[in-house]
Amino acid sequence: MASVTISNVGKSFGAARVMQGVDVSIDDGEFVILVGPSGCGKSTLLRMVAGLETVTSGDIEIDGRRVNDLEPKDRDIAMVFQNYALYPQMTVAQNMGFALEIAGRPKAEIAAEVRKAADILSLTPLLARKPAQLSGGQRQRVAMGRAIVRHPKVFLFDEPLSNLDAKLRVQMRAEIKALHRRLGTTIIYVTHDQIEAMTMADKIVVLNGGRVEQIGAPLDLYDRPANLFVAGFIGSPAMNVLPAAPAGDALLVIDRFRLRRPDAATGTTLRYGIRPEDMLIGGEAAVEGIVEVIEPTGAETHLTLRIDEHVLTMVTKERPAVAAGDRLAVSLAPGRGHLFDAESGIRLAGC
Amino acid sequence: MSLFSQAFRPVGSTRADPVLVALWVALILVAVIWIAPFVFIVFTSLKTNTAVMGETAFALPTDPAFSNYAKAWARGNFSVTAFNGVLITFVKVPLGVFLSAMAAYALARVPMRGRRVLFLLCVFGTMIPFQVMLAPIFKQVNAFGLINSYPGIVLPYLAFGVPYQVFILYGFFSAVPKELSEAARIDGASHFTIFRRIFLPVSLPALSALFVLDFVATWNEFAMALVILQDPQKWTLPLGLMAFQSQFQRDYGQLNAAIVMTVLPAAIVYLMFQRYFVAGLTTGAVKE
Ligand SMILES: Nc1ncnc2c1ncn2[C@@H]1O[C@H](COP(=O)(O)OP(=O)(O)O)[C@@H](O)[C@H]1O
Ligand SMILES: [Mg+2]
Repeated sequence: MASVTISNVGKSFGAARVMQGVDVSIDDGEFVILVGPSGCGKSTLLRMVAGLETVTSGDIEIDGRRVNDLEPKDRDIAMVFQNYALYPQMTVAQNMGFALEIAGRPKAEIAAEVRKAADILSLTPLLARKPAQLSGGQRQRVAMGRAIVRHPKVFLFDEPLSNLDAKLRVQMRAEIKALHRRLGTTIIYVTHDQIEAMTMADKIVVLNGGRVEQIGAPLDLYDRPANLFVAGFIGSPAMNVLPAAPAGDALLVIDRFRLRRPDAATGTTLRYGIRPEDMLIGGEAAVEGIVEVIEPTGAETHLTLRIDEHVLTMVTKERPAVAAGDRLAVSLAPGRGHLFDAESGIRLAGC
Repeated sequence: MSLFSQAFRPVGSTRADPVLVALWVALILVAVIWIAPFVFIVFTSLKTNTAVMGETAFALPTDPAFSNYAKAWARGNFSVTAFNGVLITFVKVPLGVFLSAMAAYALARVPMRGRRVLFLLCVFGTMIPFQVMLAPIFKQVNAFGLINSYPGIVLPYLAFGVPYQVFILYGFFSAVPKELSEAARIDGASHFTIFRRIFLPVSLPALSALFVLDFVATWNEFAMALVILQDPQKWTLPLGLMAFQSQFQRDYGQLNAAIVMTVLPAAIVYLMFQRYFVAGLTTGAVKE
């Protein structure tokens, strides 16, 4: 168990600069998720912590010790890869015991550690099998077992669930969370799936284009996104982002909705964001739109609405009696929206 | 006949498939062409010289002359040539494959300066036909004072075998997912451990194929051996066969018995290693 500190880290591949000025501090025992669109540098950052990539600038510390120049094996970390990377010719037990074997631990100790990990991950009946004889979920568990037996200071996961089907993914999500609770080891976990990040993390680091956009607890990011990128990335369906302009004391959203203007909203090019579930049917100063798509999921209903040239998504617990093409009056829940500066994308105020 | 009438029918069909028939005919034709010389050699090895002259080549030997084998063994000096062949082949082939594998691993997975240049040199090495190099090699080996010695033949064999094997294995090792080596690095394995514990087992099909091909080639190699091994006490089996080809005396029965004895070990090695050719040993390492 250990803290991890990433200070002002940058990375270049040859002339291509893919990351700069990344600062993340991770507490002992914390479950931190790096999330962001494909190609934003999540894997690269994780691999720098693992020691599989060199650090171009800045420092990485594990447990207070600078590890920039340490070999992966000397960093006391374990990593689970997206494609599992199990040793194909070894059995499950040999795969899990390999690190201890290399470290020259006695056979009896290795066997005991492997048995313990297999027990935790319900792999005991599979110990004699080869990776080729396992299902995707089982391989995933073996890869985790291989990490567990070493009792590392930090677990690193690189998109471990993206090769599994949807149902298994949900199950493994719960298992990894339970494992974290049980072992209490610091985890750095990479995913491009914001739902995975929201459901599992203690702390989320949103990356974009090699920079940190925001760091915070899942619901903090959801409720107070620091900028338009985070606002659009976190949450599904995504937040509605609409042009807005101040009009005296009021704020006009797409020239239709009239809201009270927050003091911070001074610029002329503004964006107003509101989550689909914060749009109401009817309500004060409602505006009529045309229903384009209606998708009942049972628990809630997703509506796609057109107002002038703007398309809005809304999610409601009600089951509105409308069909595609019908008119529907909707309003914006007061105080639930966000106001952003259109140019910098920075969040100015709630609204 | 009912068995045969079923043969060319796809499962569940009542009519013979003309494509299947054509494929079978082609297969049988090729098999016959391939096996004919072998049958000819085995039959002839069991005939006396008069029988060879008097009969067609594919006639069954009526009165098998097994003594051809004993005579050929003595005349070809097989006790010496077989020993030399075994020694040279069993040193050269495993050593060559092992060296090639290590070099290929280094080229594929150890970051170092000049890797591409080294690899290109290797590729270049595969393009030199050693026949044109026979004279220079003779001079070189002679300069080292290694004519008529085992190292004198093993070293040139290695020099000409290794580039080609490195080339093949480099391709194979490069296709091993890099996460496998990375996982092993994190597990604390050194390059040599990764090579021995991960890459060698994963590449077993390629390694055994190379092993067999190289075994057969080395076992049967003639030109280089002829140039470098001039002392009959150092001859290998193909050189031993020369004893059966004099201008004034030809005993075809004995010659063919000698050929059978020369080819047999290579055939046995081939059959032994064939089962390792199974591909797909890497399935399950990573999900596609
Ligand atoms: N070995 C490499 N050489 C050159 N560029 C690389 C290399 N690895 C990653 N990159 C680049 O770095 C950026 C970040 O990649 P990566 O960390 O894999 O993204 P992510 O995991 O977030 O999808 C990408 O633009 C990618 O093209
Ligand atoms: Mg990645």
